[in-house]
Amino acid sequence: MKKLVLVLAALLVVFSASAVVMAQGYDAQPADAMIVPLGVAGTPYADLEPGVRGGTMYVATISDPKKWNYVTSHETSTTQYTSIMLRGLVDNDPTFALVPELAKSWDVSEDNLVITFHLREGLKWSDGEPFTADDVVFSFNDLYYNEDVETDTRDILLLPDDTYPVVEKVDDYTVKVTLSMTFRPILNSIGAPILPKHALAQYVHKLNPDVPVGTFNSCWGLDTDPAELVGMGPFMVESYAPDQHVTMVRNPYYYHYDPNGVQLPYFDKYVVLTVASQDVSLLKFRNGELDALGIRATDVPILKREEAQKDFTVLVDPDVAVYGTSWIGINQDIGLAEGTNDNERALFRMRDFRAAMSHLVDKQAMIDTLYNGLAVPQWSPVSYLSPFYAGRDSYGGPVTETDAVVFEYSLMKAGELLDGIGIIDRDGDGWRDYEDGTRVEIELNTNAGNTVREGVCLIVADRASKIGLKLNFIPVDFNTLVNKLFASTGEMIVLGLTGGPEPNSGANVYSSSGGLHFWHYSAADEPTELEKQIDGLLDAAVATLDNDEAFEIYKEYQITLANDDLGLVYTVNPAFTYAYYNKVGNAQIARPNYTPSGIYGLVMDYCFFK
Amino acid sequence: MKFTGLRALVVVACVVALFSMVVVANLETIVSDELIPEISAAAGIALAGSYADTMTEAGLVVLAANGRTIGLRTAASGALAIQYRAKTEEEIMAILKGTADPMIRAAAIEPALIYLISVTSEAEDFSLTDYLKDIAINGETHEMKLAAAKAYYFMMRGSLKVEDLEVQAVTNDSDELAYAAGEVLAGFYLSFNPKTQAELEELAINGESAGMRVAGSIALATLLINSDLTALDIETTLLSIAGTKSAEYRAAYKVALAVRYGS
Repeated sequence: MKKLVLVLAALLVVFSASAVVMAQGYDAQPADAMIVPLGVAGTPYADLEPGVRGGTMYVATISDPKKWNYVTSHETSTTQYTSIMLRGLVDNDPTFALVPELAKSWDVSEDNLVITFHLREGLKWSDGEPFTADDVVFSFNDLYYNEDVETDTRDILLLPDDTYPVVEKVDDYTVKVTLSMTFRPILNSIGAPILPKHALAQYVHKLNPDVPVGTFNSCWGLDTDPAELVGMGPFMVESYAPDQHVTMVRNPYYYHYDPNGVQLPYFDKYVVLTVASQDVSLLKFRNGELDALGIRATDVPILKREEAQKDFTVLVDPDVAVYGTSWIGINQDIGLAEGTNDNERALFRMRDFRAAMSHLVDKQAMIDTLYNGLAVPQWSPVSYLSPFYAGRDSYGGPVTETDAVVFEYSLMKAGELLDGIGIIDRDGDGWRDYEDGTRVEIELNTNAGNTVREGVCLIVADRASKIGLKLNFIPVDFNTLVNKLFASTGEMIVLGLTGGPEPNSGANVYSSSGGLHFWHYSAADEPTELEKQIDGLLDAAVATLDNDEAFEIYKEYQITLANDDLGLVYTVNPAFTYAYYNKVGNAQIARPNYTPSGIYGLVMDYCFFK
Repeated sequence: MKFTGLRALVVVACVVALFSMVVVANLETIVSDELIPEISAAAGIALAGSYADTMTEAGLVVLAANGRTIGLRTAASGALAIQYRAKTEEEIMAILKGTADPMIRAAAIEPALIYLISVTSEAEDFSLTDYLKDIAINGETHEMKLAAAKAYYFMMRGSLKVEDLEVQAVTNDSDELAYAAGEVLAGFYLSFNPKTQAELEELAINGESAGMRVAGSIALATLLINSDLTALDIETTLLSIAGTKSAEYRAAYKVALAVRYGS
């Protein structure tokens, strides 16, 4: 009897604690709450299941965040948290389809130049303040468009005619966005996170002249009391200890619910441990100290031998490459500013030289030896997963690669191309020379410590040596490498870029005036005819609302870049690999094409402990 | 109505607790019996988590060294391995290099890996893999050598192929290095270079070295876990092969049985 009383007392304490937590949230499910159809047939969520609340999810990262301010962030070490804390007007579902988020619906005018967003009513920020159209207008007009605010987001909102979408409040729950021209990816661009006016306006000089210009750029730093951070996402920062952890706690006012009326997210807390290396993460996962882990191909054998015994899943999809590109950048402006490297610059500007380099990329050897087979050859700047990938037979259609540009590995073809442009061995020493008799020697760099990229360099240098082309591989510190890239002082560099479904997200790389057009910065002033053509294709692809038409334009764009321009010579793209303990429900949703929140592609909103 | 719901919740909670106690009680019975050592040890593996939660380090140290059965010693060692995750590098290395019972030193192997792969040096010619390999050959104890060997192959895993590992699991600079090579090899047999169950059984029984046999054993254990075999099926098999075949072959069934017991 005494034990029963104790159990009852313990349960009452538990219920009391729950009551306290619930009292901080909505009194009842908001009428405009977003219902996520977990387990509902005919939806992209059919394979998932409604879960139960409770527990703490542990993952790890090797980098501390730099700040909590999404608007001024450039690095994933920060955005991996801000993407959880914030939400935009719209988002993408697992099938790439646009779905409502903070906006419950939208209307588009007949001329496609005016979009009217209808916001969810009755929602609250994590501190209990109401969410309204003022927050949306503030985010765009006072933050993203504000020249005093340092933000990359402004670039993706810029239209080809150098104007920005005009964002206006119609009433508390209606926002009008007006465009000066048709811009197909507008709904992706306009999905940028919305920030709380009541918490942040005080840091914006144009709204609060008492603070100096630029004050906003340093607000919400790591020294900010986490209680001051406000968001609309599933979790908010509770505490942060440098080099140790970031602990996030459930947002009591999150507006996503499952079909059973259970408020999401399911986890009480989400803890990201900071560890010294990816290898330490791997060991911690094996020990059961982490619940999920993004893994590398080399980790697969280590984990497979314990997968059944320790009851976790090693998710490997050799057919699904992650978003992003890996490439060799050949600097066509080498020595231009200094008046040096005339031979190299002339050589690097020859399309046939870059084509020869493409034939020297032994992609199969890279896939076999560096990725254990878990990678695919890459030829296009657009990722395989994108519905605009030119290897598809139509927009979003199956990948056929019938029209893809493929520079197969061929020493003979590479040699013939070099012969054709007069790069031949003139003194009989086995190495190819310029016309003036000096040996062609090219420095090939990548960031030291990245064993895969170092392997890529070694394979390329080895194959080049077989046809008498001397590449000197020198790994350098990452920051030094980035400086070389932006200062245009590197000769050949192996690196990578992130990517996404919409090719226009790469406009800052492939347009002639792009801030990341690092292999030919001088094109901003003197673009080649080919670069002008590519610029035109980029503009045309966003100016149509017809995805099929945009697909055809992007197809031409990809083929032009890959076959004619060859600004970057692509290598291979790794497959998606991931591991999670089977006690985590809905973890199988982890996939590279669906990462609105959560580290390593795990969608935190829907995961739970079984 | 609320009271009724609460009472039902209490009943459910009590039933769950009782069920857990029954399961643990059954395992305690099995672990105390050493007639078939692998069955006792399997129960020990399954009990390690429970022991880690309920026993002190001092108590576990005594039990790991002096437990009456291999099952009890295995449970205590496994529990210590969990508790040792909180120890510092100095503490872990002292245990590995010290004179404690081998079951206690064994508990420090896995926790040591995080420290071993993170060793740095200001020496210009320092090579972590050379450093680890040296310890794997010349370490103070078998457990110290084995921890270093495991760390060595952990760091080398990206540059070795199955053909390399099959050689190194047979011929290596120390038995511990060959064993650790075999462990990594098992992962290849379960992923990039799959083998059939018959091939793995043959390897676990007649592999030409302990390293090759352990590769077969670990991979075979995974297939057994993923099979339809019940705990009773596996116990029956272990009974029939007691003291025969090879220790590695029996170990595969032991590991599978531990999973069936709920490790």
